Amino acid sequence: MKRFTYIAFVMTAIIIAACKAPKVDRSKAPIAGPAPKIQIGQYQMFTMDNGLKVIVVENHKLPRVSYSINLDIDPVLEGTKAGYVSMAGDLMANGTATKSKAQIDENVDFMGASLSTSSTGVFGSCLKKHADNFLQLMSDVLLNPSFPQDEIDKYSKQAISGLQNEKTDPDQISSKIGNMLNFGNTHPYGETMTEESIGNIKRDDLVGYYKSYFKPDVAYLVIVGDINLEEAKVQSQKYFSGWQKGQVKSSKFPMPKAPEANQVAFVPVPGAVQSVIDVTYPIDLKPGTMDAIAASVLNNILGGSGFQTRLMQNLREDKAYTYGSYSSIQSDDVVGFFSAGASVRNEVTDSSITQILYEMQRLVNEPVPDSTLQTVKNIMTGSFARSLERPQTIANFALNIQKYGLPKDYYETYLQKLSAITAADVQAIAKKVIKPSNAHITVVGNKEVASKLAVFASSKKVDILNPDGTPFVELQPAPNGVTAASVLNNYITAIGGKDKLMAVKSFEQQGKMSMGPMSFDMNVKMKDNAKYAVNVMMGDMAVMERKFNGTKGYVSQMGQKQPMEQGDIDDVKREMDLLAELHYDQYKITPVLKGIDKLDGEDVYVVELMNADGTSSTDYFSVASGLKLKTSSTEGEGEESVTVETIYQNYKDVEGIKVPMQIQQNAGPQQFIITIDQYKINPKLEDKIFVVE
Amino acid sequence: MKYSISLCLTGLIISSFTAKAQNIKFTEFDLKNGLHVILHEDHSTPIVAVTVMYHVGSKNETAGRTGMAHFFEHLLFEGSDNIGRGEYAKYVENAGGGLNANTSQDRTFYYEILPSNQIELGLWLESERMMHAKVEMKGIETQREVVKEEKRQRYDNQPYGNLFPEALRHAYKVHPYAWAPIGSLDDLNAAKEQDFVDFYKTFYVPNNAVLSIAGDFNVEETKALIKKYFGEIPKGTIPIPRPTVTEPTNSGEVRDEIGVKDQLPMVLQAYHIPAQGTPDFYAVDMLNQLLSQGQSSRLNRSLVDEKQLALFCGAFTYNLEDPGLTLAFGLASMGVEAAQVEAAINEEFDKVKTQEVTDDELQKLKNQVEVDFITRNSTVAGIAESLANYYMYFGDTNLINTEIQRYMAVTKVDLLNVAKKYYATDNRVVLYFLHDPNLVK
Repeated sequence: MKRFTYIAFVMTAIIIAACKAPKVDRSKAPIAGPAPKIQIGQYQMFTMDNGLKVIVVENHKLPRVSYSINLDIDPVLEGTKAGYVSMAGDLMANGTATKSKAQIDENVDFMGASLSTSSTGVFGSCLKKHADNFLQLMSDVLLNPSFPQDEIDKYSKQAISGLQNEKTDPDQISSKIGNMLNFGNTHPYGETMTEESIGNIKRDDLVGYYKSYFKPDVAYLVIVGDINLEEAKVQSQKYFSGWQKGQVKSSKFPMPKAPEANQVAFVPVPGAVQSVIDVTYPIDLKPGTMDAIAASVLNNILGGSGFQTRLMQNLREDKAYTYGSYSSIQSDDVVGFFSAGASVRNEVTDSSITQILYEMQRLVNEPVPDSTLQTVKNIMTGSFARSLERPQTIANFALNIQKYGLPKDYYETYLQKLSAITAADVQAIAKKVIKPSNAHITVVGNKEVASKLAVFASSKKVDILNPDGTPFVELQPAPNGVTAASVLNNYITAIGGKDKLMAVKSFEQQGKMSMGPMSFDMNVKMKDNAKYAVNVMMGDMAVMERKFNGTKGYVSQMGQKQPMEQGDIDDVKREMDLLAELHYDQYKITPVLKGIDKLDGEDVYVVELMNADGTSSTDYFSVASGLKLKTSSTEGEGEESVTVETIYQNYKDVEGIKVPMQIQQNAGPQQFIITIDQYKINPKLEDKIFVVE
Repeated sequence: MKYSISLCLTGLIISSFTAKAQNIKFTEFDLKNGLHVILHEDHSTPIVAVTVMYHVGSKNETAGRTGMAHFFEHLLFEGSDNIGRGEYAKYVENAGGGLNANTSQDRTFYYEILPSNQIELGLWLESERMMHAKVEMKGIETQREVVKEEKRQRYDNQPYGNLFPEALRHAYKVHPYAWAPIGSLDDLNAAKEQDFVDFYKTFYVPNNAVLSIAGDFNVEETKALIKKYFGEIPKGTIPIPRPTVTEPTNSGEVRDEIGVKDQLPMVLQAYHIPAQGTPDFYAVDMLNQLLSQGQSSRLNRSLVDEKQLALFCGAFTYNLEDPGLTLAFGLASMGVEAAQVEAAINEEFDKVKTQEVTDDELQKLKNQVEVDFITRNSTVAGIAESLANYYMYFGDTNLINTEIQRYMAVTKVDLLNVAKKYYATDNRVVLYFLHDPNLVK
C-alpha cells in the first residue's frame, strides 16, 4: 500500500510536470539542497609479533583485495652508485630462491592479478578468490628475492637505453634537472642515475640494500577491499609472520636551501617546439601540519588543480600561452619543494616566466580576497569528498597518521581545519614558501629561446646544461700541440702510412649497397691514379655509372648520360687520391680543428673542412685510433637542406692498408649501407674499362 | 538472430564463472526530443556524475576542417545565454565539483562530478550547453591558441609524438579515421565562425546525445528535473552526417620510414581489425591481450626479457565504432636495428597464426578479462561513461553487465582464425620511426 501511494505520487508529479510545462528559470543557477554529510570510512589496525603493523580497510563493493607493504625508512645516499636503490626495489620480483622471473610473471598474470615492487615496498591486488595463491607469491617476492645476475645485466642495459631516450623528452629532463638543482648531489633526492653510476652497481649492493631495509618492524601492511579483520589476521599470520625483525639505521641529511637569488638553467633540446618552464626550490614543510594545510590552500589559489587558478586564468584563459599551467607545493618529512610551470610555445617563453613570477609575487604582497579563499575551500572540500569514493584513500589516511604521527582524528577534522584558514594565514604561509626571488628557473627547449632568459638571473647569466645536468660545452678544447695537420697526418699513419698508400696505383672494390629492402651491386675501379670507373647495378640493370679516362668523363643515371663538368672532375680526382687528406691545399680546402667531441661514447677530434665556395663538411677522427669515423655535411640550401652523415665502420687490414668494410650513409630518414666484400690493391685492370666515348 | 541465441547459451555455460561480478542496475528512457537518458543509483559516496555524450567526433569532420570536433569541445566551455564566459568551471568548482571533457574519433564526452546536493546544477549547465551555447570571437581566438599549445605539448614536443597520427594517416586512405582528433594547425586557423554555428546545429542536438547520470541521487526526483531542463530543447532537424565509406582491408602492405628527433628506433605495425562489438572483435582483443597484457605476455617475454631487443613493446586494440586497428609496437634498445625488432614482432604474430594457444593460456586470458570487468566499474564517473558508451555504440546499455560473456565465449579456434584472417601481411602498415639529424640541427 505504501509502495502504491509512492508510485501514485510520482505519477501525479510527472503528469503535472507534463501538463503544466513549467517555465524554467534558466537565468540563474539552481539552488542546492543541504550539503550531504561527508563520512570517512573506518580502518582497523593491529601489530604482529615481528613488529609489522597491519592496517585493514573493509570495502565489499567489489570482490577484490589489495595488499601493500610500505617501508617507513629514511632515504639513502647512493654516491657513485646512484640508481642501485631503485634497481634493488625494481628487481625484487625478477627471481626468488625458488622461482624465475618468468614463473612469477606467469603466476601473477594467470590470476589476472597485479604485483609491483619498489625500493620502499611491494604492492599487489587480486580477486578475493585468488588471495591465497597470490599472497604465497607476494610473500615469496618479499622474503626471498634472489637478484639474479642476468636480470641485473638486463636491467642495466635497459636503464642505459632509457637514459638515451630521455634526452629527447623535455618533461623528464625538466623534472630531473629540478631535483638536481633543488637538492644537490649530496642529498638522496638530488642524485640521478647515469651511465657511469649504473656501471658501478654490483649485485652485492642490491642484496645489501634489501637486507638492510626490508624489515617488518619499519613496515606497514595495508589491506584494502573485500576482506574482514579476522581474515586479514589469518592471512597476515600465514604469509608474513616468517619475516624476520632487524635493526634499520636512520639517516639525517642537511636541509637543502633555496638559492640566494634567482638562477636560470637552460637545457637545449634540438628541434623543441615548446619550452618546458619550471620555477622551483626546496622548502621545509612537514606533512600534517597546519602550515601544510594553509600551503595547500595557497597552492590551489595559485595553480593546484582545476580551471580557476591564477596561473590557469592568466597563462591559459587570458593569454593563451599554454594548454595548462600548474603549481605544486609539496610537503615531505625530509624536504619538500615548490614548483610552478607550464609548457609554452617558444616565442612566449620569457613572457610566461614573467607572468609566473608575477603571480607568485602577488601572493606574497596582497592578501587573497575572501571570495577567492571561499572558492578554493569549496574546491578542496569537494575534491576531498570525491577522493573518498576510493577505499584506498582511507588506507592512505591511516598510513599517514601512523607514518607522520598525526592525531588520530586528523582527517575526521580536516574539513574543519580547512574552513578555519583565513586570508591572513594564507599570506603568512605565502611569505614563508613563495620565493619569487630565490628560485631555480629552469627552461628545457629550443636553443633559440636561451638568449631571452638572462634577464631572469640575478647574475644575468644562464647556466646551459646537458640533459644529465652536467655543464653543456659545445666542444672540449684539443690538447696543446694537436693541430688540424697533426690529426690528418695521424689518420694517414693509422690507415697504413704515407709510403704504403703511395704504393697503391690501382684498386678495385666490390660490394653491395642496400637501401631499405632494395639492394644493389657496386663496383669501383681506379687505375694508375688517373682513371676511374664506378658501376651500380640492380641485377642486370645499370642504375648508375661514372667513368673518367684521365681527361674527361661522364655520369650516367638509369641510362641518361651527362658529360662530367669541371666540378665533377675535381670530385673524381679527390676520390682517387688516397692521400687527399695531405693534399687539401691542392683542393682549396682549409681544415680547421674545432676541438674534441664524443661520438657514441668515443672521444673524437672534430675537423671542419672549409671549401672555397663557402660550403663545408665535418670529419670526426678517433682520438684513440686516429681513424676517421664519420663525415657530416649539409646538401642543398635553406628549407630543402638535408644533413648527410657518412659513418665508417669495420676497418679491416688489406695488404697493410686499413679500409672501412662498411659505410653507412644517412640522408634524413633515408639510410644506405655499403658493405665491401672484396678490396684488391694494384689489381690488373684493362684499359678498355675506362674508355669514354 | 542466430548470434544472440548463441550468446544466451554461452551466458548459461559461464554464468558460474561471473557470478561474483557485480550487476549494474540502471533505468533508461527517451525524452520526446530524442535525448536518451540513463540513470544508475549508487549511494555509497555522496557524489554524483552528470555526463553528456554527443555522438560526434573527428570522424564526422571533413578534410580541411580536421580538429573541429575537439576544438568545439573547448569552445563549449565558453558560456551560454545564461552562463558568462569562463563560468562553467566557476559554477562547478565553487560547488565543490570537478569537470572536464574529451573528444575521440567517435564521440565527445562532457562530465561534472558534483556533491550529490548539486545534481540540479549539473543538469542546468549541461542543458545550457545543449540549448544555448554562446561563443564569442575572444573565446574562439583564445581557444584556438590553447588547442595549438595542446597539440604541441601532447604530440609535437613529445618523444615519438607523431606515432599515432602517422599510424592513422598510413592506415586509413578513405575513412576519416585518417586524422587524429587533434587535427591540423592549418585547419584550426582556417575555421570560420559560421563553421561553428553549423557544427552546433547539426551535432549538438538532443537526438544525438546520451545523458548518463550515476551516483547518489533519487531516480524519480531526477527524472522530473531532467524533463524540466532538457524537455524543452528542440529536436535537431538537420540530418546527421556519418561516414559511410569502408576502409578497404588486405590491400597490400604499406611500409614507410618516418624521421623523429628521438634517438632509438621505434617500430609500429597497424593491422586493420573489425569494428568493436562484432563477434571477431572479441577474439582479436583477446589475442592482443595474449601478446601484450602483463609481464608474461608473449611480446614482452620474447622482445624484452628473452631476446632483449626492445625497451618496451606491446600490441593493443585501438577499438573504434567503425573498423579500428591493432597497433603493435616495439622501442628498440640501444644498438638494436628497427628490422631486428620487427622480425621479433613478426615471429610472435606468426606463432599465433599457426599454433593454437594452450588451455592454460586461454584460461589466463579469461581470468584477466574477469578482473578487468570487475575493476572498470569502480567509480560512478566510470560507470556513467560506460553506460553511455554501450548505448551509443551498441544500442544495448545492458552490455555493461553482459559483454563479458562475449569474451568468455571465445575459443582457441577463434583465436587462431582471427589471427590468420586479420594479421596478414597485406593487411598491415609497418612504420619505422628513425632518428633524423635534420630535425635536431
